[in-house]
Amino acid sequence: MFTIIIRSILIYCIVLLVFRLMGKRQLGQMQPFELVLTLIIADLATIPMADVSIPVLHGVIPLLTLVILHFLITLITRFSTFISKVLSGKPVILINPKGIDYKAMKKLNLTIDDIFAALREQGYFTLSQIQYAIVETNGKISVMAKSEFSPPTCQDLKVDVDENFIPITLICEGKILKENLALSNLSEEKVKEIVKRQTSSKIKDVLVLTIEQSGDGYIQLKSGEGKSFQEERLVAS
Amino acid sequence: MKLVHYINFFLIFVFLIAICVIEENLVSTSLESVQNQCCKIENYLVEKDSLKQTELVLMVDNLEFTWTEQESKLCYLVNHASVKEIGYEVSHLKGYIENDDIDAFKVALQAIIFYSHSYLHFMGANFHNIL
Repeated sequence: MFTIIIRSILIYCIVLLVFRLMGKRQLGQMQPFELVLTLIIADLATIPMADVSIPVLHGVIPLLTLVILHFLITLITRFSTFISKVLSGKPVILINPKGIDYKAMKKLNLTIDDIFAALREQGYFTLSQIQYAIVETNGKISVMAKSEFSPPTCQDLKVDVDENFIPITLICEGKILKENLALSNLSEEKVKEIVKRQTSSKIKDVLVLTIEQSGDGYIQLKSGEGKSFQEERLVAS
Repeated sequence: MKLVHYINFFLIFVFLIAICVIEENLVSTSLESVQNQCCKIENYLVEKDSLKQTELVLMVDNLEFTWTEQESKLCYLVNHASVKEIGYEVSHLKGYIENDDIDAFKVALQAIIFYSHSYLHFMGANFHNIL
């Protein structure tokens, strides 16, 4: 049993390493060749885990071979559009302004129900709202609504708005994130001052504190409700 | 893609090549050494009527020692179940010497030679194995 435990830990670490080496795409939107690799990896990893007569290397070597293969395929697809199309396919326009492309639908082995489900996921409930729908190489359907059904943007409404910034998390579960302090150009003392001003509590009591470039912030104590606040605009780093 | 990625993949590639070379070497040296020792024992027995020979006992001891040593190394690379027959036959040799059962001894030697020869074939890198 001890051997199996150690083997399981070892193989888990190796599979983790393999997925890290293959990149983040492996965890989300997968191309067909990536899906094939993922399925094989899942199967390969379990073989030496349970059978102690099989050396761990019998599981590791195929895994590493697949990593190399994946690396080569990624490299080739980057340099050759043709091979990329062969391996991953190309996006297909499923709905155009004239309606559903029936030939494309049959070729992709999709049903009307599949199309409606995909459209509903994107927030559209009738085909008349859709200008274009494209089936991506990873199987997802991207939808472009007709102009009259698209939500208006600030540009459409001719409204002046401040630029959006990613909120910077300064405190997370009672700890100041020093890396983010540098991004916000704030000192630790300044953060402590903000916390004291907004909540009159200590840093360790704060669940989360975020701040935007505009000075808009949000703070929540571990034992309390969150609240928004306004500080001075941050100096761009 | 970052340089570190290329280095990682290069290192994995080198590791794979190294493992293949080590496996090929280890399998051929260990199985060939067992085969050679069995052939030596077989030749020694040609004109002998009895197994109760000190030199033969030493040769079998040597064979047993070699196999135990090589088997422990082989187990890192090959399926343990695939090579167990050789160990099984080697472990019987001493019993045959004690009983002075020359025919069974010769059969066991032949079996060891046969197994090591066939393992050498199916563990090595060749077209048959790939397909």
